Amino acid sequence: MRPILFLLTGTMLMSQTIDRTKPPETPPIPAFKMPPVHETKLPNGLAVVLVGDSRFPLVSVRLSFQAGSKFDPEDTAGLSEAVASLLTQGTKTRSFRDLAEELTSIGASLNGHTSPDVLTLSGSVLSENTAKLLDLLADVALNANFPENEVALRRQNRKQALLAQQSQPAFLAHEKFDELVFGAHPYTHIAPTVESLDRMDQKTLIRFRDTFLAPNNAVLVLVGQLPGRAETLKLVRERFGTWKQSPVPAAPARNFPESKRQLVLVDRPGSVQADIHVGRLAATRTDPDYYPLLVGNAILGGGGSSRLFLDVREKKSFAYDAHSELDRRKDAGVVTAVTQVRNEVVEPAMEAVLANLSEMAKAPVTAAELSNTKNYISGVFLIGLETQASLADQVDLVKTMGLPEDYLEMFTTRVRSVEPDKIQAAAQKYLAPDKATIVVVGDASKIEKSLEKFGAVQVEKAK
Amino acid sequence: MRYIFVILILVCAVLQAAQPVIPIERYMLKNGMRVILSRDNAVPVVTIYLIFDVGARAEEKGRTGFAHLFEHMMFEGSAHAPKGTHFKLVESNGGTLNGSTHPDYTDYFEVLPANKLAVGLWLESDRMRSLDITPENLANQKEAVKQERRLSFDNRPYSTAIVDRWPQVAFQNWQNSHSLIGSFEDLNAATVDDVAKFFRTYYAPNNAVMVIVGDIQIPQTRKLIEEYFGDIPSQPKLAKPDLSEPATPAPRSDTYRDAHARVPGVIIGYPAPPRHSADYYALGMVDVLLTGGPSSRFQLDLVKGKESVIQYQAEIGWPFASSTDYKDPGDYAMFLLFKPNFTPRQIVDQAQEEIAKIQNEGLDMKEMERARTLMRSERITSLQSSLRRAQLLGQYEILDGKPELINTDLEKFLAVTPVQIQAVAKKYLTPERRSILDIIPAPPEAPPYQPKEN
Repeated sequence: MRPILFLLTGTMLMSQTIDRTKPPETPPIPAFKMPPVHETKLPNGLAVVLVGDSRFPLVSVRLSFQAGSKFDPEDTAGLSEAVASLLTQGTKTRSFRDLAEELTSIGASLNGHTSPDVLTLSGSVLSENTAKLLDLLADVALNANFPENEVALRRQNRKQALLAQQSQPAFLAHEKFDELVFGAHPYTHIAPTVESLDRMDQKTLIRFRDTFLAPNNAVLVLVGQLPGRAETLKLVRERFGTWKQSPVPAAPARNFPESKRQLVLVDRPGSVQADIHVGRLAATRTDPDYYPLLVGNAILGGGGSSRLFLDVREKKSFAYDAHSELDRRKDAGVVTAVTQVRNEVVEPAMEAVLANLSEMAKAPVTAAELSNTKNYISGVFLIGLETQASLADQVDLVKTMGLPEDYLEMFTTRVRSVEPDKIQAAAQKYLAPDKATIVVVGDASKIEKSLEKFGAVQVEKAK
Repeated sequence: MRYIFVILILVCAVLQAAQPVIPIERYMLKNGMRVILSRDNAVPVVTIYLIFDVGARAEEKGRTGFAHLFEHMMFEGSAHAPKGTHFKLVESNGGTLNGSTHPDYTDYFEVLPANKLAVGLWLESDRMRSLDITPENLANQKEAVKQERRLSFDNRPYSTAIVDRWPQVAFQNWQNSHSLIGSFEDLNAATVDDVAKFFRTYYAPNNAVMVIVGDIQIPQTRKLIEEYFGDIPSQPKLAKPDLSEPATPAPRSDTYRDAHARVPGVIIGYPAPPRHSADYYALGMVDVLLTGGPSSRFQLDLVKGKESVIQYQAEIGWPFASSTDYKDPGDYAMFLLFKPNFTPRQIVDQAQEEIAKIQNEGLDMKEMERARTLMRSERITSLQSSLRRAQLLGQYEILDGKPELINTDLEKFLAVTPVQIQAVAKKYLTPERRSILDIIPAPPEAPPYQPKEN
């Protein structure tokens, strides 16, 4: 019977003509299926995570330390960033040129970068050369020696890059915004200063390296066409097994200012438009409010069917871009509504942004918004895991941010279980603009008046 | 079964060679729409990529920016998917989407969970069949484009120099040198009739290629495509505009004072050989030697070494294309940011000196091998994403009529010899053929506003 039934269904499908006036019915979005993961720890405390991924002849590595910019000494903002970028610029036995040539010759890349929480060495390699990349990774992590000439060159170039950043309105807005919401916590610094760059000599860099780059403060993630498990672990042990443990300082205390309504206008003479940022501290990934906030934020300003996009861009034509974003640091979240509008419409645009924030707190989201947005988040999550690099980043994120083991596999389920009343409660807590920090970057001579009705405007000069 | 087995063997064999083989199924609908399917069931994701054979270089005088304005109109609704539906339906089915306008083509994509393929096909077919062209939508999108211009160009360092000024330095033919984003004046002048005519001519199925890459079943996909697109009528093709540049390049130099830039920059360009000529592949390898990866000559000699350059980018076809979607005429161009204690002239000389070393001194085989390995690993890495595979397949079809280049193009770069590299550097990258645009930081002199001191 079964084959015949199957055949009949097939025939019916074939003869059916589709209705082109309506979108087709499709099955629900599948959940993410995690490939097999093997986790272990070396005796020196180095956490090791292996994930097989045989789609392409590539291997991706991440070596991450709890050593992000929040660990910068108070007077040396940007130190973690400097260490990250200089790790690959020379070791006891390899010059920058040696490292660069060896990496290129095996089809590999290896770069250091830093986030507010984590310092990471990221690399990828043609899988036949995995062992060689691990040689270089170990050399860089254990033996970087921060050559004087490289330190000096990096200092000069970073000063120029800083100048370039300071010409970008988005940078100026972030800089001021983070200063206001994070107060005295080191999260407040988003970049080095000329003075802090001058303070970073070889000694300072080595001290930071010796303090934070310890195996018991690190996780090593390998994803890709790996040799067998035993063979891979042998490669890891040979290179990282003798690395010495050392005590690691605790993260700075989570002391942040109370959220309050404040309005700062950063003057950028000649600006043809105004960058508007409205937001405040919010839940982290491990907070019970997280999933309601995640969904609520997406309804407010995630993507092209969100409220901000439809209202500020599509309906009112004030802006090309209007969205809201969730900055998810380990010790604090921040939610911000962002848009860039021409000078003439600053006042109605600000009104529209504030009204959309208020509305999220006032009334529950609609059933259609909720179901559409849950699908959006689930689908984008799935698509975001398509490449090996993105899978490596996600595995690394789970380990470094202290997320539950089942974070990736349960993500979609947790998103789907969010209820409208929880979203409204989270919105009252985090989106209602009564205690929002507002930062606007623009030409004060043209827009200061338009902002006065939203509170006392504090005008500051761009650095 | 045997068939599958053979394919597997083939894939494994080629993995040992240059790159994984991307499967290609190519056919044409009766209305002339070309279709390329590429199945890969590793992850439950599918990309729908539509590429149209029209770009900004087809624009007429008085209508600069029109191709891009039209691209915006494609998201304004169609007969059964009214305004707002496109974004909403793709996103509520877990997908992402976008469109972009290039000199020689315009493209649109949806990336969706694989079982949502039909939704994307429905949307794309509805707008190809019945785009909603109204004065309200046009007025709204004119504003959106102007706002995009303010955001992405007028308020950002280097952008105006790169997008508006550089083409005027590099090209003499107006079709190539005019602004892709357009002037506010020309945008305002666009009419509903212009939009309707452009749509009829250029967005007909016979002017399009549809590429689908990902976790699909070929027979079902073919059937869906036939049902959704099969009866959209084709249209007569228009003659393409003449893009030719004078046979002898007339190099130019210019200076742009950039109110938003803080760090000086310079753009250097040399007219490049025709796409996919022998010289094109050789020049591609010159580019890798000069600027590819951490051991490139610019990195080792200029960023390190002379400590003059801070950052650089370079491509055949820069800034609007890369070597994969470059179409002549165009330049091999480079954009360098440098320290203010150097003059633009010194930077140009230093870059030319690096080129001269390739022209005059032999290449070391180790460096050659490194360049090849870098090229190969970058290509394999980029092939991981279904969107990237779809883009390459669609671009090779639109520009060359040969989607199979996705599997063979790399070999041609890898086969280039040191002798060919020297020869192409001598032939193309000479000071006599070189155009230059200096970008000088020029912040507003006196701030018109002084904040109150407390």
